[in-house]
Amino acid sequence: MAARASTKSRRFKLPEEASVIFALLLLIAIVGTLRPTFLKPQNLLNLAASYSISALLAGCIVYLLSMGEIDLSFGWVLNLSAVIAGISMIAGVPVWIAIILGIIAGGVMGAINGFLTVVMRLPLIIVTLGTASVYQGVSLISNKSGSVVPTDKKITSNIFFRALGGDIDTPIPFILIFVVAAFVVLHLTLHKTRFGYRILAIGSNPEAARLAGIPTKQTKILVCALMGVVSGIGGVLFLGFRGAVDPTTGANLLLPVVAAAIIGGTPLSGGAGTVWGSLFGALIVGVIGVGVVFLGIDAVWSTLVTGLVILFAIGVDQIVRVRKRRAS
Amino acid sequence: MEMKSRKARWGALALATGMVLTATGVATPAHSAQKKLTIGFVVHVIGNPFINQIIEGAKAAARDLKVNIKVTGPAGAEGDAQLTAVQNLAAAGVDGIATSVPSASMLKGLNAVIKAGMPLVQFNGFVDGVNAPYVGEKSVESGRILGKMVLDKIGGTGAKGTVIIGNCFPGFPVLENRSKGVQESLAKAPGIKIVGPSDVKVDAAANFAAWQGLLAANPKALAMVGLCAPDVESIGKVNAAIPGSKTIGAGYDLTTGNLAALKNGTAQISLGQTPFIQGYLPVYMLVDSIRNKIKLDKPGFINAGTEIVTATSVIEPFGSAPLTFARLQRMAASPSLTRIYYDALVKGYVRDWQKNLKPIADESA
Repeated sequence: MAARASTKSRRFKLPEEASVIFALLLLIAIVGTLRPTFLKPQNLLNLAASYSISALLAGCIVYLLSMGEIDLSFGWVLNLSAVIAGISMIAGVPVWIAIILGIIAGGVMGAINGFLTVVMRLPLIIVTLGTASVYQGVSLISNKSGSVVPTDKKITSNIFFRALGGDIDTPIPFILIFVVAAFVVLHLTLHKTRFGYRILAIGSNPEAARLAGIPTKQTKILVCALMGVVSGIGGVLFLGFRGAVDPTTGANLLLPVVAAAIIGGTPLSGGAGTVWGSLFGALIVGVIGVGVVFLGIDAVWSTLVTGLVILFAIGVDQIVRVRKRRAS
Repeated sequence: MEMKSRKARWGALALATGMVLTATGVATPAHSAQKKLTIGFVVHVIGNPFINQIIEGAKAAARDLKVNIKVTGPAGAEGDAQLTAVQNLAAAGVDGIATSVPSASMLKGLNAVIKAGMPLVQFNGFVDGVNAPYVGEKSVESGRILGKMVLDKIGGTGAKGTVIIGNCFPGFPVLENRSKGVQESLAKAPGIKIVGPSDVKVDAAANFAAWQGLLAANPKALAMVGLCAPDVESIGKVNAAIPGSKTIGAGYDLTTGNLAALKNGTAQISLGQTPFIQGYLPVYMLVDSIRNKIKLDKPGFINAGTEIVTATSVIEPFGSAPLTFARLQRMAASPSLTRIYYDALVKGYVRDWQKNLKPIADESA
């Protein structure tokens, strides 16, 4: 009996993200078995680095989903933040100040989203339908519909570009270290602070949260601003990582980022969310993308296979989740 | 309940196995035929009729040269996703990679792949600074040709009125060059006022809506000039919806939809950029360079040629055999007919690619 109880208690303590980790490992095992070169550590690290920016955004969109909201503009906030940072650098602003300017711009754009949502009493999804185009338009005007490429040696020799661009040899890509550190902060903020509890409470029942004295409007604006800051960080990281920002950068981030958060176990209904889950969700999206190439699946088939594998990953996740719930 | 869960688990595993079998069934594995080269071919958008013509050219080269080809690319044009596809192909161990390069942010990553020893050729779109040759049209020059043909149709240098220009992908260097060429030719008529270039989007439905809106806002426009593959077909549909419309429709690429618009008279001019050559030549160059140890790690340009097509005439580049509009239409829908037509070019212009390699500056001359 005691042994059974102890097993039960161990099962009960399995982290919430166990199911998505299991699905991720299963996918890695399948691709790795068929194409062993996929499992080379360098390859796996490169894969993680390539998807780290969308993972970072997924980690933050968990906040919005937990609050029962969704932002459609973060890809263009990322783009415009990177453009502002890049143009500032080219104009002679010191690199670190330009980076801060880019991040602040992201925060301001996020705060505008939040402010409009509160003032207009509209869901964030509707407000950001409009602001996404506004930010894209401002970006196109600012970069004259071309790429922003800081080429001056003074800029590119800055440690920011050298570290992110891979010119400084580190066993683990610098961008990956940064993103993991950011996830620790995002996780602790959502699950260990009053701010985080307020977000979850608003997502659970906005009316009850308001009656309980939670400043719902202020919290919404703050969460939107946070999403903007994180998108701004994503933008400047992109600029450092790739050395340029294009008019299309960020255009296709919406689906993989939201998919990563949902695959990771954050429900669309609000009231709950897992930051670490979104990291593993982003890695699942990444493994699927890379796996399709490694397996040599023809481009015509790849979209179908990607969709089926996402369904498979969600299925495995759900099975493990149900089992865990029963066990507890 | 436990039974149900077990069933579900086995179901999921069966699904996984099925998908893996499906995946390997459609794959062209590099490891199954060790002596056979494998070429990665990365396009900037999947499901576009013009890009499909390039892919068919690449597949024809792979068949002729008896190599494997892995075609991939993002669903929507985005440089970062495309660079990731190139890096993944390199990690997967292909022998050479051909890729279109729509974004400056791909530069650093592509040069790292080249530096690591991967032979690489750019096609259809390029970025200055990538250490690899480029196969594509002379983009400014083709714009000049299109602008001149439009000008001839609307009354020459004495023409007065509005010409609308649409760009489906603002910022894409090759399209900006085309736009520059078109405007250069139109500038010879001082009475012409240019509207745009407006963002007309690449998605077919959005593209049609954009052209519809542009003509509604400028109902007396003398001409609508598109710079991308979906434009001529959209312009044709917009013209067809207005009985008696006299607005000239012009643009790029010889897709079945664009040729149909030329044939029914709702659009007048479409320039092709020889997609067969843009697909065939990069694969040929890669295989030739790998087999004969020729280095490809320097920028350079090989002109893929410009095709000039109206409903009554077809002019193919490099002195190719005469072609009727009807046969061109059949070729647009038939990769095998296309391969047969370009056989002479394959045996001459393509085979002698090293002789035709020019400095990259020639692309925008």
